[in-house]
Amino acid sequence: MSLTLSLDFQYTASIEKLWSAITDSGKLAKWVVDIHNGQPMENDFKPVVGHRFQFRTQPSEWWDGIIDGEVLVVEEPDKLSYTWASGAEKHTVTWTLQDLGDGKVNLHLEQVGFTNAQGLEGAKYGWSKWCGELEKVLAL
Amino acid sequence: MSENSPLRDVYDAIADPTRRRLIRLLAEADEMPLHELTAQFEMGRTAVSKHLSILKEAGLVRDRKVGRETRFRLHAAPLREIQDWVAFYSKFWSANMSRLSRLLEEEEE
Repeated sequence: MSLTLSLDFQYTASIEKLWSAITDSGKLAKWVVDIHNGQPMENDFKPVVGHRFQFRTQPSEWWDGIIDGEVLVVEEPDKLSYTWASGAEKHTVTWTLQDLGDGKVNLHLEQVGFTNAQGLEGAKYGWSKWCGELEKVLAL
Repeated sequence: MSENSPLRDVYDAIADPTRRRLIRLLAEADEMPLHELTAQFEMGRTAVSKHLSILKEAGLVRDRKVGRETRFRLHAAPLREIQDWVAFYSKFWSANMSRLSRLLEEEEE
């Protein structure tokens, strides 16, 4: 089952400035932090189609702290899309920027992926069989 | 979030079929002592105990002493958290997009 997360945020900035904030490695490091420990995530992001990058933080209780991604779409300054893989889950993150006039810009985020149980390496962990079990455990 | 930072990755903990079965057994009961859990497996109590320790390290199992026996119970929250990535990333991006707002304001000044 595919799942989508959709968020919108309005900023008082020029579209170019917002584009730079979501594509410049140094600027990304200033606002993309690990919400569990508040530490900035190191990254080697570049807005170049095909570029493979990582976001890294300290390993935490839920993940090894590494996000692997590959840039899919770069349409400056309107659209940016990349894969976002953590553990065995692979998602697609797409940012859409829209100039609202009056110095305001809307930033739309869409993250599409699969439910954890199906996204995991089924064969390796025997997850696919256990998927139903997990659902039951969580329903209790 | 659990109050104790687990020592072990939750994926690690559920990678083993014995441990998944332990989770299932504990999910069906409130609490179970080691000997009752051991009775369900073709392995000794030391082996079962070791698997329970791993689940405990991942924050999936809690235990308490009652007289001379230790009783185990499931703490499913970490499973829920990893299963529900939408909730996780919703928190992640909302918090970070607010930070971005402050960053852009600072740049203006």
